[in-house]
Amino acid sequence: MRVAVVVGTALLVLNGTFPLLWMMLTSLKDENELIRIPITYWPEAITFQNYVQVFEQLPFARFMLNSAIVSLTATVVCVLIAALAGYALGRLNMPYRRTLLTGIVMTSMFPALVLLVPLYRMFLGMEIPLLSPLVAFLHDLGMTFVPTEARTPNLLNTYWALIIPYVALSLPIATLILTSFFQLIPRDLESAALVDGCTRVEALFKVIAPVSAPGVVTAAIIIFVNSWNEFLLALTFNTAQNMRTVPVGITMYQGEFAFPWATISAAITVGVLPLVALILLFQQKIIAGLTAGGVKG
Amino acid sequence: MSAGAPYLHKDGLPLALTTPHAYRRPGFWRRLRTGNPTEAQLGLILLIPAALVLALVMFWPIAQVLWQSLHFERLNVPARGRPFIGFEHYQRMLWGSDMTWDARHLLGWRLLAFAGAAGLWWGAARGVLRRPTALIWTVIVVLVAGLWMGYHPGEAGRWNDARFWNAFSITLLITVASVAGSFLVGLPLALLANVESRWRWLVRIALLIPWAMPRVLVGVMFAWLFNYTNGVVNDLLGRAGIAGPLWLSRAEPAMWAANITIVWATSAFVGLILLAGLQSIDESLYEAAMVDGASRLQRFWAITLPLLRPSIAVALIFRTLTAIQTFDIPYAMTQGGPGRALETLGIYVSNTTNSLNLGYAAALAVALFVMSLAITVLYLRWIYADD
Repeated sequence: MRVAVVVGTALLVLNGTFPLLWMMLTSLKDENELIRIPITYWPEAITFQNYVQVFEQLPFARFMLNSAIVSLTATVVCVLIAALAGYALGRLNMPYRRTLLTGIVMTSMFPALVLLVPLYRMFLGMEIPLLSPLVAFLHDLGMTFVPTEARTPNLLNTYWALIIPYVALSLPIATLILTSFFQLIPRDLESAALVDGCTRVEALFKVIAPVSAPGVVTAAIIIFVNSWNEFLLALTFNTAQNMRTVPVGITMYQGEFAFPWATISAAITVGVLPLVALILLFQQKIIAGLTAGGVKG
Repeated sequence: MSAGAPYLHKDGLPLALTTPHAYRRPGFWRRLRTGNPTEAQLGLILLIPAALVLALVMFWPIAQVLWQSLHFERLNVPARGRPFIGFEHYQRMLWGSDMTWDARHLLGWRLLAFAGAAGLWWGAARGVLRRPTALIWTVIVVLVAGLWMGYHPGEAGRWNDARFWNAFSITLLITVASVAGSFLVGLPLALLANVESRWRWLVRIALLIPWAMPRVLVGVMFAWLFNYTNGVVNDLLGRAGIAGPLWLSRAEPAMWAANITIVWATSAFVGLILLAGLQSIDESLYEAAMVDGASRLQRFWAITLPLLRPSIAVALIFRTLTAIQTFDIPYAMTQGGPGRALETLGIYVSNTTNSLNLGYAAALAVALFVMSLAITVLYLRWIYADD
């Protein structure tokens, strides 16, 4: 039995890490070595040319920067909103809070695909209810100082086109995680503060906020990973070369028929580095968060 | 504490008698202004930002998709504008267009069904089955064989959208195969990860990497592993003396490759959820079973599996929901090909959007949404049944 467990664990580790390790090995091989038969497992001559190619062929540094800006902003905004909602649902004695939580979590089941077309229209710029007809009416009356039309700005090919949906897509999960974290904080802590003369709002910032830091970090990591990995919306909304994110950018290396596998594997290796770093640093926290919510499958 | 009840006494007299006017509890705005709102008030205020975001980016777009699916809109035919066409898209998707009814269509099968219904009444007379049951089945037969089976496209019409049903069945196949696969792989992963050892951190990393990888890049990565000439899978198969198939250019191997990839990407997540379930099982149960002389397998069947049921339910249903939306991995591996062998509903929606037929794309998206909603409702019923 002991041997079976050791072998099984070795298989598990191999299964989880092999594809990524294989990509790293591939990225160190020469383009000619890749198309040789039989294939080589260990690179014969290690070359870093592919990594140079990654940054020369497309503005990959820019892709990384875009992904970082979008994911970090989405994370900060989403954590703030989710923390407020999580505190309300996890700590406060309010009616229907179970139903509200269920409703919020249910929205995470909506396929992101369904949002594609309406969000595209929205970001393209749309009429604002009440305001747009009013402005048009005033303009028709001869008031030339009002603008000809009032529409929302065109957000396509800006960071906002991705930040806004990413906040919304991660919000249900983040709320669920933070709600369950807030529920774990002992109520006496807050009651003590209230007895000492704090108002509820003061208690929130002075007592609850410091204690809930671990939960916030967990939620933040999961939102960050979700945002970094999103593909479909990023592919559709940001079509300008300079505004692409990492997952979309990597699919742009392939030509119509040719797959430059060496370059692609180098790009993948660089592109998932932040994720691997997060995993190495925060394994325990991520697992705690995933099992609190049940995040993405 | 400050909000005392109105019948409190002060200096031995009821409060109402000591004060010149009747005591009033501080109102909503006053409590808000003084920074001391009630819990329910504070809760509602704290929920406002989340509600705004969800309303603007989730509920409003979904309402728009529902509305859009009732309109004709092709951006490449701008002259026709955006007229309201009712349920025509759904009719085309599920039913067919310009269908005619013909009494003689499929006559043999329909008569056979009516004969079956007559048989039911014969059985009811003999007491084999109850009369209400026979009545219900007769109504079904009349509707299906008498009415529904009489419809056919005729000369001018067309059957329903075959591409939709192709995408639907592929989605269903991927859902069943990958959910079952990720559970069968995820359970052993969880059992192994639950073993105390020095290498636990390594196990955790091995479970987290598949979860954290972007799905598109997983698809690209496995397309390379499954490469016909230079992929590591076919090399290993070749060493074992098996000729590896053309993984990504034949329909059936492509389905296998896609499912294996999805299972790799998702089984770790299932494993993590099950691991949490395993760790919440009370150790003393196992000790008691050991005292009673239960074998390892007996302990697994009698203790682990039943107590793991809630975690299994959560993992399976989250997996099912994401499997229905499968898009990234088949898209990255073959763009839905070869032919349409991997064109899931998600890819079909995206392709229809790209071909600028926004009205029909919305109707397809609604179909996807309804499927997710049905599973969500099932999920909630299951969860609440446990409470």
